[in-house]
Amino acid sequence: MSLLLRLRAVVALALLASVFSWLSPAFLTQGNLVMLAKHVALNAILALGMTFVILSGGIDLSVGSVAGLAGMTAGWLLHDGLVLRPLGVVVWFSAPSVIVIGLLVGVTVGALNGLLVVRTRVAPFIATLGTLYVARGAALLLSGGATFPNLVGRADLGNTGFTVLGAGVLLRLPAPIWMMAALGLAAWFVAGRTAFGRRVYAVGNNEHAAGLVGIRVARIKLAVYTISGFCAALTGLVIAAQLQAAHPATGETFELSAIAAVVLGGTSLSGGRGTVVGTLVGAFVIGVLNDGLVLLGVSEFWQIVIKGVVIVAAVIVDQLGARSTTGTAPRRQR
Amino acid sequence: MSKDGVRLAVVVLLALAGCRGGGTAGTQKIMAIITPAHDNPFFKAEAEAADAAARARGYQTLLLAHDDDASRQDQLVDSALAKGAAAIVLDNAGADASVATVRKAKDAGVPSFLIDRELNATGVAVAQIVSNNYQGASLGAQEFVRLLGERGSYVELVGKESDTNAAIRSKGYADVLRKYPDLVAVARVSANWSQTEAFQKMETILQGNHRIDGVLAGNDTMALGAQAALLASGLPKVAVIGFDGSPDAVASIRRGEMRATVLQPAAQIARAAVEQADHFLRTGSTGRPEKQSVDCLLVTRENDERVGVFELMRK
Repeated sequence: MSLLLRLRAVVALALLASVFSWLSPAFLTQGNLVMLAKHVALNAILALGMTFVILSGGIDLSVGSVAGLAGMTAGWLLHDGLVLRPLGVVVWFSAPSVIVIGLLVGVTVGALNGLLVVRTRVAPFIATLGTLYVARGAALLLSGGATFPNLVGRADLGNTGFTVLGAGVLLRLPAPIWMMAALGLAAWFVAGRTAFGRRVYAVGNNEHAAGLVGIRVARIKLAVYTISGFCAALTGLVIAAQLQAAHPATGETFELSAIAAVVLGGTSLSGGRGTVVGTLVGAFVIGVLNDGLVLLGVSEFWQIVIKGVVIVAAVIVDQLGARSTTGTAPRRQR
Repeated sequence: MSKDGVRLAVVVLLALAGCRGGGTAGTQKIMAIITPAHDNPFFKAEAEAADAAARARGYQTLLLAHDDDASRQDQLVDSALAKGAAAIVLDNAGADASVATVRKAKDAGVPSFLIDRELNATGVAVAQIVSNNYQGASLGAQEFVRLLGERGSYVELVGKESDTNAAIRSKGYADVLRKYPDLVAVARVSANWSQTEAFQKMETILQGNHRIDGVLAGNDTMALGAQAALLASGLPKVAVIGFDGSPDAVASIRRGEMRATVLQPAAQIARAAVEQADHFLRTGSTGRPEKQSVDCLLVTRENDERVGVFELMRK
């Protein structure tokens, strides 16, 4: 049955790709496909983290803001440095340590999401909606609403190299594609081949039962939100590196695209059912729509309509499939 | 293919069938026109003016909107380059955040012509044509002083603090008004360019004082919000001045509500960018400096009938 689910998303992707290559000769060229994959990578990395959260029966609305906050943190450290006023010194960080700090910011906000959900029992939707606002506000506060420009770095401060994250090329493929591939592989392995992955599915399927068989539900939840925070921060850093500038509004509404990719990939919003491969295919479906419709010169308003139609259609198809293959939808208790 | 796959296929094909026709390129050169949004009258006017001017010169056009998202703008420029655009007319998504994107286009051999908003870098775009916000604000402030008879109390509604244009306009107002000591500012607040926010802030300010003679707003949306609050409070005589020259503001002036607005010639700027792009593609030069500023015009009851969509018609 999981094969069938996967097939369905692949069918949608193949179909869209063939329609676009029929309508536009520029679509199926090597250059365009590399560009497409590079664009998809941003949403795919977010969606991979989101997959674990949704599999566990939760949701993470804060990912777009966390991406913005991580990018702004990197921009701040690269552009202004850490000013220690009492000591009268400015500490400059190397590009790798800026990246690590940016990722730590994401991990911290993710862990905070997890703690809120686990300890205070606030519904994930509300808890992460709260952190969405807090993280966005923090990003704006870092610069007073301005952009941190020119993140190329300065050789005399020893902080060059950050932009490799966005513009680096290995074996003719841009860095974001490699990150998407590496994270995708890791997520596939963790979700399908490790005890942790099994437990995430178990918690999503039936939290109560999972607790009864000795799974530490709280730990699993804390972990999935932390993973999501990490992925969100990585996306934000890649965007800042690509643009060579950090803008506080970066990542607004990204959470919606990430959730759409997960759902398109056949993962159930009620948790416990879905695949990592499906999410990647879902991200590509959205990416193909985004880029393909632009390439065709379809009006912006039609693009929005079509995206909505495809998402809803895919989920309708998905539910028809779930009913016919499993009989009843999986139940879940709080 | 499964039955469900077929169903999905039908839905997608139907959706696509509804919008086919952007179709295949002939031998025409393509001009990409990228603006912040198509659902805002100002940005729509510049996109349409550029579109018409480019078509008239025999270009195929690619109209795109980045929604003020610099990352989306970067992807749209990628797509425009992939489609083989010969030139890009761009109202950018951030003076700093757009530099790398415009440079990428330049490195790919595609010249960019910026309109409305500047870039914090020179030598990257071929041209940057913007309206002179400072001069426009001075015009508005002078009219404001005249309407109030050089005395009275007023409110200033400022745009989004992070936007450079908000600061430039506010400075333009201040540099004129400070010469008139009998004009007293009772409040100076930001309403973030928003009509709703301006309405609410104006209502709050009116709670405190009813003796307000004028409102000077950083754009027309805020001016209209303030105007609505004043009318709702039974204060139709307060003089409200805006900035942009949007069709809604011009209609309000025609109705005798708002007193004046400063017209940004967005349509004219967009056409100038297309003309210069065309000239550049044919001759390798625009014959103009990179930074160009276009003067704004005052719209009042006297000349409102000559105002088109972000341009002043000749008589």
